[in-house]
Amino acid sequence: MPRESLFGRLNRKVFGYLVSRFPPAPWSDLTRRTVETVQRQVPRSHAEKYELKTIWYWYPLYCLGGIAFVAFIILTITGILLGFYYIPDGTIEFTRTGDVTSAAYESMNFIMNDVPFGFMIRGLHHWGAHVMIAAVFLHMMRVYFTGAYKKPRELNWILGVILLLVTLFFGYSGYLLPANDLSRGAATIGINMAKAVPPLWLGEFQTLVFFGELDPTGFYILRMYWFHVFILPLAGTLLMVLHMALVWIQGVAEPH
Amino acid sequence: MTLPMQTMKEGVYEERPGFPTQYGPDRTDYQPGVPFWPHEAYRDLVIVFVLMAILLFLSAAYTPEVGPAANPAIQPFIVPDWYLLFSWGLLKLADVLPTIVFTDPLGNLINMDAAFWGNMLTFPLVLVPLLLLPFIDRGRETRPAKAPVRTAVGVGFYLGFLFFSSLYATNDRILQSWPFIADDALKWMVIIPPILITFATYVGIRRLGFRDMYWWNVLLIGSAFAVVLLMSLWAFALGPWAADGMSPIDRLGTLGDQNAWPLTVFMVIVILYSAVLFYATAFLKERKAKEVVLAASVITFFAVVIAAKGFADWIFPATFSALKTIALYSNYFIALPLFALVTFYLGTRTPYSTYEYLLNECYQCGKCHTVCPVTKVEDDALGGLNLVYNTFKKQHDGVPLWTCLACDACSAVCPLDIKYSDYILEERSKVGAQGAAADGGRRYGE
Repeated sequence: MPRESLFGRLNRKVFGYLVSRFPPAPWSDLTRRTVETVQRQVPRSHAEKYELKTIWYWYPLYCLGGIAFVAFIILTITGILLGFYYIPDGTIEFTRTGDVTSAAYESMNFIMNDVPFGFMIRGLHHWGAHVMIAAVFLHMMRVYFTGAYKKPRELNWILGVILLLVTLFFGYSGYLLPANDLSRGAATIGINMAKAVPPLWLGEFQTLVFFGELDPTGFYILRMYWFHVFILPLAGTLLMVLHMALVWIQGVAEPH
Repeated sequence: MTLPMQTMKEGVYEERPGFPTQYGPDRTDYQPGVPFWPHEAYRDLVIVFVLMAILLFLSAAYTPEVGPAANPAIQPFIVPDWYLLFSWGLLKLADVLPTIVFTDPLGNLINMDAAFWGNMLTFPLVLVPLLLLPFIDRGRETRPAKAPVRTAVGVGFYLGFLFFSSLYATNDRILQSWPFIADDALKWMVIIPPILITFATYVGIRRLGFRDMYWWNVLLIGSAFAVVLLMSLWAFALGPWAADGMSPIDRLGTLGDQNAWPLTVFMVIVILYSAVLFYATAFLKERKAKEVVLAASVITFFAVVIAAKGFADWIFPATFSALKTIALYSNYFIALPLFALVTFYLGTRTPYSTYEYLLNECYQCGKCHTVCPVTKVEDDALGGLNLVYNTFKKQHDGVPLWTCLACDACSAVCPLDIKYSDYILEERSKVGAQGAAADGGRRYGE
């Protein structure tokens, strides 16, 4: 039997790896049938299928990813509302009495004091962020402890780790925006961390990419705003859709 | 046309629950699950509304403040949000690592200082293992209790490392509130407790009754104990981490000889107690271990109370300041008894309390029914179903609790190694404890 060429073997290996994890299926047909079926049904879980006794107190843990997603939707809505009033300008200014302020800080005060229910919207955004990050951490713990990252779900685990990074960066860039003392202190730490990567030019380059300046004078707020309202939501939404599509394709992994 | 294999399958598995002969929606026993509308949708809506209610309550009752404006002239005393505390703690911790400066072949100056090591600790140390996790842990076991290494590392990492590194981020405030605690002691708190928590979890899971503990586990845990004991003695005797370079012994000298006695007594009590706990956990049988630990705990409690009261009130009034001295190295004296207690609690849990978990593994292969001698003679059991499976479903099919011979033939053939007779004996002993005799009747004399 003639030996297969190197390219052929490599091709089979790579293709076989992918196909064994994502078996080809008529996804469009399945989707259409699911949508068109009157009685749309949630498939039985492993435990139901084999009539195993369910460990019911574990089941809320399988809801954590969904809670993170619901919190993300709430954050999107409240974030859009906040975006109507927030001014991403951290340039230092002085009031008539000589106090330090900035346009961003003034707009925060405007949202909190003058916009009708502005404090509620900001409160929802603030606490929603905490809930989302907590849910993401707990979701990750659930996936870890139930071994749900094993074959064939490796790719989804890696996507999840990237989404964790995205969420943390969401949180970090979010609490840099109000231009208060916490924002300035956190920006100082972040800029120093980014600058510390050797060699010098690389550290300064990535500091300029992420913060736009080498010392926290206030320009970092515009940069963080753009990350917070455009780049991260775009990347995050795409990755989340992919993450959930993979869960749908590969099924929920539950311990049995 | 039916394939021969299909005919055989139908013959073997006919009328058996859990063995479908066809697949897909055409199955005769097709159970479609829960309809999405309205059942699932209502449940999801409840979750959304509860979440929304919590968020509304929080934003109304605990409205986030904006705080003072950013002022370049003032260096604020800030603490980042809780989810970034671990990173800041590692950043602060990183100044223990050496600063390395060199020039690489391209002529760039590479400066590896504390901030660089902080970056390294935060990102590569946490992220790279997370990204590589599915390729490192390649076993098939998904249950947390049956994968002790994974679970122990997870508990140690999540609950231990992240928590204690977050704790270290607030070291300014801790040192402000308790000035007698050394900063180095807090640094060791990031390293030592996660390792101990990992060990303790591992011991606990190995002793849950799923598998026998390997002999080398005892040595491993024992050496971990020994290391902690030696380090506490070292910290007590030499203490190289104090800011002024004084060991506790030196410090005691400055306080006067009278304090050496109470401190020695406390040290001996703590170390003896931990050693007894370790010995009981690792070597004694469960029942004996519980008695020993209970007795040791009671004795230790009264010994500590009497010693403290006696030294403080009657003999040496200066004991309190001496205790503050020893608190410099309090990490070991906190971590060691905690570790011992957790290990003991996990290590002596009743092994068969998780039997339901084990029986749940049964996938109804029916081998136990084939070999069970009781099913051959008991009328009820002649056409009976699967032994383990039915027991688990509380459907005793002719081999109820009291007709089992405990011959272990079923365990011998069980592909999942389920110890059925152990379960039966455990259940019988439970019933016996409630007052029934072994034959199901009354006791003699009743």
